[in-house]
Parts: sequence; structure tokens; C-alpha cells
Amino acid sequence: MADDAKYDWLNVNKAIDSSATDLHSIAFNSIDVNAGTSLCTAEGTVKANTIFFDTIPNCTGDVFEIFTTSVVTFTMCVIIFTIIMLSQFITVIWTERKLIARFMDRRGATTSMRSLWVGENGVTAGEWWTLLPFGLGAPAGWIVNTLNRVAGNKSDKATVNRVNNRSWHGVWYLFPGFFQGLGDGMKFLTKEHMVPSKADKLIYELAPFLIISSTVMILGFLPFGSGIYAADPEMSVLFAFAIFGIAPLGVFFAGWSSNNKYSLLGGIRSAAQLTAYEIPLLITILSVCVLSGSLNIIEIIDFQYGSGVWNFFLIPLGSLLFLVTMIAEVERIPFDMPEAEAELVEGWWTEYGGMRWGLLFASEYLRCYAACILMAHFFFGGYHAPFANFIGDLGVFGDAYLAIPGIVWVLLKAWFFFAIFVWVRAAFPRIRTDQILELGWKYLLPLSLINLAFAFILRLYVFDGNTWGPGSGMIIPAVITIVSLILFVVLSVDEDPDWEGQRMSHTRTMTPAGTHTIGED
Amino acid sequence: MAEMWITMGPQHPMTHGLWTLRVKVDGETVVDTVPELGYIHRGVEKICEARNFTQITPYCDRLCYASAMTWAQSYIYAAEDMLGAEVPERAEYIRLIAVEMQRIASHLMWLGAYCPDVGNLTVFVWCLRDRELFLDLLQELGGSRMHYNFPRVGGVKRDLPIGFAVRARAKIEMFLKRLHEYEMLLDESTIFLVRTQGVGACKAEDMINAGVTGPNVRAAGVNYDVRWAHPYSVYDQVDGVASVEKASSNEGSDCYDRYRVRMTEMIESCNMIISALDSIPGGDETHYNKKDEMIYIKPPIRAPAGQNGFHHFEDSRGESTFYLAGGGGKKGRGEFPYRMSIRSPMFITIPYVAKTMIGYKVADIPAIMGSFDPCIGETDR
Amino acid sequence: MQIISSEQNLSAVKVAVEETNKRFEEAGITAESCQHRSGRKYSFVHINCPPNHWVSLAKWLRFEQGVDYLSMITGIHFPLEFEFFSGQPGYNPGTPEKGWEVIVHLTRKGIKNPKVGEQTIINPTKLTGMDIPLEYQISLVLPQTDEPIIPSVQSIWDGADWNEKETWDLLGIEFEGHKNMMRVLNPHDSPPGFHPLQKQHKIRYHNHNEMYDDAQGFMRKPLDSDKKK
Repeated sequence: MADDAKYDWLNVNKAIDSSATDLHSIAFNSIDVNAGTSLCTAEGTVKANTIFFDTIPNCTGDVFEIFTTSVVTFTMCVIIFTIIMLSQFITVIWTERKLIARFMDRRGATTSMRSLWVGENGVTAGEWWTLLPFGLGAPAGWIVNTLNRVAGNKSDKATVNRVNNRSWHGVWYLFPGFFQGLGDGMKFLTKEHMVPSKADKLIYELAPFLIISSTVMILGFLPFGSGIYAADPEMSVLFAFAIFGIAPLGVFFAGWSSNNKYSLLGGIRSAAQLTAYEIPLLITILSVCVLSGSLNIIEIIDFQYGSGVWNFFLIPLGSLLFLVTMIAEVERIPFDMPEAEAELVEGWWTEYGGMRWGLLFASEYLRCYAACILMAHFFFGGYHAPFANFIGDLGVFGDAYLAIPGIVWVLLKAWFFFAIFVWVRAAFPRIRTDQILELGWKYLLPLSLINLAFAFILRLYVFDGNTWGPGSGMIIPAVITIVSLILFVVLSVDEDPDWEGQRMSHTRTMTPAGTHTIGED
Repeated sequence: MAEMWITMGPQHPMTHGLWTLRVKVDGETVVDTVPELGYIHRGVEKICEARNFTQITPYCDRLCYASAMTWAQSYIYAAEDMLGAEVPERAEYIRLIAVEMQRIASHLMWLGAYCPDVGNLTVFVWCLRDRELFLDLLQELGGSRMHYNFPRVGGVKRDLPIGFAVRARAKIEMFLKRLHEYEMLLDESTIFLVRTQGVGACKAEDMINAGVTGPNVRAAGVNYDVRWAHPYSVYDQVDGVASVEKASSNEGSDCYDRYRVRMTEMIESCNMIISALDSIPGGDETHYNKKDEMIYIKPPIRAPAGQNGFHHFEDSRGESTFYLAGGGGKKGRGEFPYRMSIRSPMFITIPYVAKTMIGYKVADIPAIMGSFDPCIGETDR
Repeated sequence: MQIISSEQNLSAVKVAVEETNKRFEEAGITAESCQHRSGRKYSFVHINCPPNHWVSLAKWLRFEQGVDYLSMITGIHFPLEFEFFSGQPGYNPGTPEKGWEVIVHLTRKGIKNPKVGEQTIINPTKLTGMDIPLEYQISLVLPQTDEPIIPSVQSIWDGADWNEKETWDLLGIEFEGHKNMMRVLNPHDSPPGFHPLQKQHKIRYHNHNEMYDDAQGFMRKPLDSDKKK
């Protein structure tokens, strides 16, 4: 195993031990939600448990500490300043919301934002030269365009942008698409809050509050790195999924109180679907906890590091189940019947407008994101680097590799799974509600129970206190992974011939004329 | 939960056009349906009683805007029947090419609207992108992308532009490859199959009795097509067959069959276009001027008194019929039809489909309705 | 593709015309073979039928001649006097015997349900006899009346259902025995008796000049402007 000092310098805790108690006490002692406040301990050494840096155990009172404290102070000042500025900004937006709404309607959300700092001189699509001062923008643009035309370089991105009255979305070096979310958020802030006249007002207002607050709460105790978390209760897994389960209640509130048949149908579908998928989800998570021996997320992560194998290679079925049930929990295509646009307009969101809808939409994506991060934590080692032991021993390169902070790994893994979510959304149609429920109760629930039993067997009989199985503990996980891969390939390829055989399959065109004609037999 | 009436429409993402479907649901199951049409009833039949035969063509374009060329063509054949006009053969070939391209574009529009109904939004953009290929070709022929006013009584407005054949062949080749991609995405997707198979069962005889024709009936296993049954134009001289699909269950054809029929119809239309370009009289590289004898023969302006004419035509959605009555006399009486009657396949199909939906789930409503390819412009006229 | 040839078409039409005439001679129903005047100039069967015999003819066609498809029901109004353009002298489209006409287009398609799992590939060139597709045009003429009534064939062809609704909605021709008659194209709350395709309802604009240049009709003269008062 790698030496403690070489390991993740972002780690608050000095000792990386897979045993539960040490971690716990250290975590409890060192956590402080208000970053930057407790810079000094009783002993006089600087124990900086700030968000970004840690004291390396051996240095006392040297340049590094001063650097650390100054960076921390600067960050805090920036944050406070931004909060003050933003609050002013938001107040101004609220006061001038009608003007802004009119402006945005005419020019589009993001273009109107862009025109705050670039003068609109008749150029709707923003090319880089319009920012040039002293009126150099137009001639520079003419030169650029002429040269491009002469060279035969025609990009239709500019045309498309102009047609759509868009601004710098397609420019790679200027955060492509980055401001879209901000522009959308501003648009939502300026829209009207409507409550349908016959709606149940209290519950109608309460529902988005429930949903968004529970979602944000989850993010509070997801660790983004080894020490970057806001709260770490003893059984954080239970807590996380209890909170995950508040949102379905909010969904049902929204559907019922909107006094709209579409919303009601959407809310009912959603309640049924989420209930059906919470059970396999919780059983799968139970299997992870059984495997890792703890109900605390951080302990699960560190257990994976300690035993040398990520949980994915031990229960690949569980990972797949978790992915599928999470897609159903966050109601994305292919499981997005409750908000199915084709039939129900927006389902249980139909009557919400303005920022309430914006918050509901944001909560859907936040839950997605939380699901992806949880997937990374439960099955893919969280904030530990892949092959940490192996590469970490490779001298200088290993040092550099291990020096990559854990947050980077968490985010990379989470973004990878989010990319899978988006990929699945783009490729698949929706499944019908009764088919979703059938899938959940008839197929996923037994599979999750099988997975749980498998996890029990692994933990009880294969785990020998330190590693999975004899030797370095790699053989059994490798075998499990390979067998699962083979099964997956076989099952996914074999499906088509059987399917075609049962169904009266189509022909491409008709068989040559004269094979079966009316009148002859 | 008690039974309740839900109103789907008139503004609804599912409806392909402007109409209302009132659905009585018991939980998730559909118990009764009542379609309500007529939101875009523009009174075309009455208006055309005061337009002469050339002026009616643009009105017919706007009947079904998704498939404008076929509707203008359908009217032109009926008008030629009434006036007794002669049409040169090259014009018939050009009409065939235009109609088949429009059929492909219409089916692509259908697929682009059907997949979002089922849930897959990617295919929408793909199909519209490929529809652009054919819309560009039709724009070369007719001058605009949607309402062409292209056929004339007695021929066509103008000949194939220079280079049209080359572009058409290249685009069709590209299109066929892409169509194969879309088929792969949808046919190999279990979710799509699960959504469309077993849903919306219709038998051939019931459909014919109810007045449904076209790809919907060909999906039930019978290759009936007006192009060979009541022949017109030069379909006997091009390679191509009416594509047909086996009905998959005892109760009849389902949405998946209707989807497959339209996919294969697109391929067949491509074959017809290529073969028509190969065998067009005068060659596909020559361009004749307007009003040249090869593409247009001036028809009589009015018909004898008491004359009427009708024509059955294979539209992208079924069999459309125009009936014109009138004739005789001076301007205003002979030049304008006394009565123009339009038979729209979708006007008859939508009530039939509304009856078929009973017994399925609410989530199946867009899947079933979309698979019959409704277009409300022709329904309401 | 292979198509029905003109010989097949002609033979089928001849047979159909003969059988119809034989069966219904006494009832006053006459069938004749008409020809399209353009294109391939194929023939079709045109039947003139008094309205009171319509249902029996329809039943015979459907069940014994295999005419399984009803395409369109068209209604035409022939008033005795009709001023075509406002201000222009009228003409007489109708006679006392012909006030309303209902044209029914049918086709015989010869489609039967294929067996499960099979498809029926019809080879047009091999069709014979009653399998050949055929077009029918049936004309039912009513005398001048304010309440035109025709028996309904809703029970014989399902496709007649909405066709008859549309004909009633637009023209006012009642269909006796039609269940659940309702407005389909006009708004549901249109005044009873309002049937826009009747000729006394004038078209607002007769040509494009009127529509574009004088949309509100300021230049039009009132209808009785040339009468001495």
C-alpha cells in the first residue's frame, strides 16, 4: 500500500485506515462546516481544515502554511464579495423583471445577457472581433470574412447562430454553452408565478419546496473528496436515501394539488413508478453496504480502497441494477412517463411556471447528478484514483498521479455516468407505465435479491478480513467480472434471433409476384 | 378511481395538427373516445366554386401541407378527367418523380413526429435533416419548400432543372444509407419494439369497411395499392412494388407493422425515382422550356355542360379522391367547378382509430394515433 | 409495377353493368359503363338510382358484388335559380326534378383478411372476375325540396358514417336511420339549419381582386341596386 504521506494530500485525515473507528473520530474532530475559521488548534500548530488545502504532517510554520492561510483568506473574501454582489444583482433583476422579460423576449435570453457587455451594433451573432475597441470590430470582421471566403472556408455554425439569434455558443475557447444555464435561470426568475384558481394553494406551494430542499440536502453529505463534505452522520447511506424518498411525496403533492387531470395522471404514475423502483434500489444499496461493512458513505469508499478492489468488480449486477433504478428514480427517459411530453404535456409539472418550474427542473438534474456521484462512490471507489496502489509505486510519476486531488476523480467518474444518462436518454424511447412497473416488480426486484444474496456470500465466505480471497485478492473479482461480461454479451446478442422467431417477422419487400395469388390456391 | 374525461387537445404535443381527442379513462385504461375535428375547416370546397381550374391547384397544396405535391396531383388528375386533357409522357414521368419524392418527405415527417410520441427525440432531428434533402430537390422543381403549385392541367409547370438527376441520385444514395441507420436504431431497440408491438390491432377487412386505405391497410398483409388497382401515370413502366407487411397477430396489424411498411415504402419510392430517371423520355439531362410540347399541352378551359370527373389517387396517407362537377356555359359557369368534393383519407381514419384505441392504455394513445400518420390539414379541408 | 390492364378493367365493368341491369331493371336503377376522359381512359360503372331503392342496391353491392369500400359521399345542391356572381344574371342549375344530388363513390377492392402470419401478394395481372378492382359512381337525384332525405347506409359500410355526417353538416341532406348525427366540420354550436355549401350562401370573395383589393367590399354594389324602386 502506498505510504500515507504520499497519498492524497487533499485528505484531511492523516491516517488512512480502513478501520471504522479511527476515521470516525478524526472526521468528527476535524470537520468544520465554516471553512477557514478554526485555523489554530490548542497546540498552536496550524490545522487548516479548509476546503482546499491540508497541512502535511511534518511541516510547521513554514512558507506553505502562510501560503495556505492567505489563499484561504482570499477565497473567503471572494465568496463573500460575490454573495453581496449577487444579492444586489438578484434584487435588481426582481425589481426590473418586466423590463428584462421584454428585453429577453425580443432578443432571446442569452443574447440579451450578452448585450449587457457588448454593444449591439447590428451584429446579432457575436464573433470575437465585435469586442475590439475603437471601432476596429467591423473592419476586422470584414477582413476575416473575406479571407475565409477566399480560402473556401465556410462554416455554417455562424449561419446557424445568426439564424437562431444566438451568441457565442459555438466558440470553443469561450466556454461553449456555458452561459445557457445562467440565461435560462434569469429567464425563469423574471416569469410570472401563477397558481391555478382551483388549486390547493398550500400544497401547491409546498411541493416544489419539498422537492428542491430535499435534493439539495443530499448534496450536503456526498463527499467530493476525502474531507470535502458538509456532514457525515454515522449512517449516511440511510439518511441519503431517506431524503431521496421525500421527493416522490413532493411529486405526488404537485400532481394532486394542481387541479389538472394531466398533472394528476402524472403524479399517480410517478408515485407508482418511484415506489416500485425504490425497493430494488434500496436492496442494491443494502448489498453494497453488506459488502463494505458499513452504512457510512465515506467508510464504503475507503473500504474499497482498503480492500484493493472496487465494488463494481465484485457485484457488477448490482452496479447495473443501481444504474437502472437510479434512472427510474430521477425520472429520465426511458422512464420518464410521469412527465411524458407526448401525452401529458409536462405531467405533474404542467401548472408550474417561473422559478418554481425552474427549481423543479433543476432538482431533476441535481438528483441525476447526485445519483451519478453515488454511483461513483458506491461502486467505483469514490475519490480514489484507479490503480492507486499499482501506479502509486511508480516513483515520480506515481507521486504526480496520486497528487491529483480526489475531487477530480469524483467529478470525472460522476460525469462519465452522467454522460451515460444522457446517452441513454438520446437513444431510447419511453417505456409505458405498466411496462415500467412490470419491469420493476417482476424483474428488478428478484434480481436485486439475488444480488443481495451474492453479496452476503461474498462477504461471509470470501472476504478474509483484508482482501477478497486468497493472495492479493484480485482473482475472485476478476473471475466475477469476466463471467458477468460474458453473460452480458450473450444475453444482449442472443435476444434478436429469438425475438424475430416468435414474431411474424417482416419482409423487406414482397416475395416475387405470383407466389400466392387470389383466385389460385 | 372513477372514470373521467380527459381532453387531449386542441393544443397538445401529441396531436399532429389541430384537433381534440376526448378520452374517457378508467385509471390508465381508455374506455371511450370522441374525436372532435374542424378546427381548421377553411371551406376549401366552397371557395373553389369560384376559382378556375388553374387557380384551384394552390388550394389543394394547402390541404395537406405535409404532402402537398400528392394533393395537387390528385386534384389535377380529376380536373384532367373533367376537361378531357391530354398529358405528354415526359410530364407524367416528372409528376411521378415529384410525387414519390413527396411521399418520402411525408413519411420522413411522419417518422420524425412518431418517434417523439413514443419517446425517442433524437430521430426527430435526424428525419428533419434528411427531409431537407428532398425538400431541396422539390424546391428546385416547384420553387418553394412546402406549397409548390407545380402540376398543371395538361402537364407540369416546368421541366427538371439541369443537374437535377445527378443531385437526385446522389441524395437518394446518401438517404438510403441513413435510412438503414434509423432502422437499426429503432428495430434493435427493445423499448421501441415493446412500445409498438401488440398495440393498436386492426384487421384488413375492418379497415377497408371503415374506409381506411394506404399504408395502414398494407400493414395488415394485403398489398392493395391504388397505383396498380386504378392505374394512372406511368407506374407500369417503373420498377417498384407496393410494400406490404405481414400482420403480426390474430387481431391484426399493430403499430410496428405500420412503421415497417412506411420504412419500406420509402425505399420503394427511391427505387421508383431512380428507375423513372433512368427511363424518362427525352433523357434526364435535357431541359425543355416551359409550355414546350414535351411537358405541357394546353387543355380546354371548360368542360361540356353536365360533365363531371373524379379520380382515386394514392396519397401518402391513403386513397384520396376528388370529384368535380359542373361544366358548360360562359365564364363563371364552365370555368369554375359547380361543386368540388374532396375525400380525405384521414377524415375517415381518425374516427376509426379513435374506436381502435379503446381498451389500450393512455400511454398508447400517441403510439397508436401516430402510427396512422394523421395530418389535420386534409382532414378539415 | 404491374397494373390492372384495360382489358381486365373493361371486362369487369361490362360484367358489373350487365348484372346490375339484370337485377334491378324493374326498380328503375340503370347502370352504364362510363369512361374516364384522360390518362389511361379506364372505365367505371355509373349507376342512376332513385333514392328509395338506395339501401337495397347498397346491400346487393356490398354482400353479393363484393363492393367493400365506400370512398366518398358527395352532396350537390341545384337550386332553381342561382345568381352566381352578385349582380350578374342568374342561371338555372336545377330543374324541378333535380334539386339535390348525392353522388356515392364506391370501389370493389377484393381484400380479404390474410391468414395469420402470412401476407397476400396480389398479382394484378392474374386477377379475374370478381377480384378485379372496380370503381362505382352512384347518383341519387332528389327533386326540389327544402328537406332532402336519403336513407342511410351507415349499417352497411362503416366508412359511410363520417361521410354522411359531413354531407349533412355542409349541405343539409338528412340521412334517415343515421345514428348520432353531429356536426363534424362546422362548430358544434352552429345554428341549426346552417349548411354552408348550399348555394344561397354566397362566397364572400369571388376572385382574388375582390379579396385583395377590396376586402371589405366597399366597391361592391348592393344586390338590388339596378332595380327600380
